[in-house]
Amino acid sequence: MRPRSRTERRAADTAMRVAMVPAALIGIAVLAWILWEVIARGIGALTPAFFTELPTPPGMEGGGLGNAILGTLLMTFLAALLGTPIGLLAGVFLCEFGPSSRIATVVRFTTNLLMGTPSIIIGIFVYSVLVLPFGRFSGWAGAVALAILILPVVMRTTEDMLNLVPDELRESGLALGAPRWRVTLGIIFRAARTGLVTGVLLAVARVSGETAPLLFTALNSFYWPGSLSQPTANMTVTIFNYAMSPYSDWQAKAWGASLLITVSVLAVTVLARFVIRDKRKRA
Amino acid sequence: MIMATEERVLVKPPSEVAKQRPGEIEDASWLPVKVKVRNLNFHYGGHQALFDNSIDIPASRVTAIIGPSGCGKSTHIRVYNRIFEIYRSHKAKGTVEIDGENVLSPATDILKLRKKVGMIFQRPTPFPMSIFNNVAYGVKLHYRASRGEIADRVEDALKRGALWDEVKDKLGEPATALSGGQQQRLCIARAIAVEPELILMDEPCSAIDPVATSKIEDLIETLRDNYTVVLVTHNMQQAARVSDFTAFFYKGRIVEFGATKKIFTNPDSGQTEDYITGRFG
Ligand SMILES: Nc1ncnc2c1ncn2[C@@H]1O[C@H](COP(=O)(O)OP(=O)(O)OP(=O)(O)O)[C@@H](O)[C@H]1O
Ligand SMILES: [Mg+2]
Repeated sequence: MRPRSRTERRAADTAMRVAMVPAALIGIAVLAWILWEVIARGIGALTPAFFTELPTPPGMEGGGLGNAILGTLLMTFLAALLGTPIGLLAGVFLCEFGPSSRIATVVRFTTNLLMGTPSIIIGIFVYSVLVLPFGRFSGWAGAVALAILILPVVMRTTEDMLNLVPDELRESGLALGAPRWRVTLGIIFRAARTGLVTGVLLAVARVSGETAPLLFTALNSFYWPGSLSQPTANMTVTIFNYAMSPYSDWQAKAWGASLLITVSVLAVTVLARFVIRDKRKRA
Repeated sequence: MIMATEERVLVKPPSEVAKQRPGEIEDASWLPVKVKVRNLNFHYGGHQALFDNSIDIPASRVTAIIGPSGCGKSTHIRVYNRIFEIYRSHKAKGTVEIDGENVLSPATDILKLRKKVGMIFQRPTPFPMSIFNNVAYGVKLHYRASRGEIADRVEDALKRGALWDEVKDKLGEPATALSGGQQQRLCIARAIAVEPELILMDEPCSAIDPVATSKIEDLIETLRDNYTVVLVTHNMQQAARVSDFTAFFYKGRIVEFGATKKIFTNPDSGQTEDYITGRFG
């Protein structure tokens, strides 16, 4: 046996770099290209009217997508409101109460399936249970479809984040004579809170760009979302419709909406990162 | 088969049970028993970790549990407050009587039991909240108290935990910002705040530095006056310094139990002697 020479180690190091750096650069380049394209084509559409006015009839210049922005915000918010508590509770069950029970195994497996299910299938499912029976597309159905997409993500991150909390912390809460639920809510949740918030943010960011589930549920509308029992305007379906249209004004608006969604998702993701960083700093 | 030892009777009146320094006690027979364990067997699923443990832990004294890694020290004390129960496959059989009540009986009020039996872990476990709220947590859990009463109790517990002077100006700061040794004393104060009678410590000094360790040892010495302490330790000197009685565990069995002085100078069992003199373990 002889010690490895320095040149040998250097060579291996260089070889790895040569392989990895370009791979990383390609990833960054693609993202930069998309961003550049979206910004370049979309920025012009983002006038004040874009945010506040209703769309104009095809071929007519002007107007905006205020209704779609509001509709997307409403439905995403409702979906988070619906999906987050269920996801949190289910995650708590998986980690804290029945980690090795038969139900937990089944739930975990189903969650994985649900996460891998193409969102268009969720759309069709909600279409068949909430749109067909009532005879109309609705914002509620849209929110439910998005909630179904949020649910497994929140559930998984909740379970993962709670699993990261050391058992000793649970045990010391219980050893003080606290009932299980108080330990979970008062100590474990608190210890995992940044992770939980991050999970919810990322789940919301993920669904806010979904088109397929809304196409079959909320559809779209030219009017303000006055009631969620009606077809409800939203940005992604609007992008879909406008981008396919022959009118250059609509196409420009589709780019504007794309830019808006991209920036929002980016902002939420960065916010989530920020939360994680903050957590590390304090730990 | 280990026969139950004969019941111990308090022959001297409590007034005469003057406190001796650790190491001075040679006889436990006139001390009241706090924990009476008989034929305790413990299983982790299919793996048996304790075999027929029987021991009488004297009240208001420090009892050290020593023995090589994996011999069942932690397992043994984790039965006293039934904390093992949160894992489904962990099973204890036998009797563990604290003040004459079998804690393993299904009728035991587990929250009351855990109020009475505090536990300190190997790694400090500050809750993710302020120093004050850490100590107040258990108080709020077990008592209806006004803010003022809680504050008094927190102060008292921190003083008993020998931490008050170091934290009195920053009670609102997160407990995780304290040093490891301070965190461990905080955990002791947190346990003390709910007025336990028995405090179980599972290698409380193994994750902290020597200076912090000696502070905790001093603290344990003061706890002797009001609490029964069971201290698991790998550190022979520590056992000799702070404990009145010592139990030597080996492969899930209690090989020898007696006054610390005797165990460390003239043990009955050759295994105990080998372990203490460092011949194995
Ligand atoms: N959660 C568990 N599941 C299965 N077996 C376990 C578990 N915890 C401990 N054991 C086993 O039980 C036996 C006793 O373990 P225990 O932790 O009580 O030992 P210990 O004396 O506290 O050791 P140490 O000094 O290393 O802390 C060991 O053989 C160990 O492998
Ligand atoms: Mg141990």
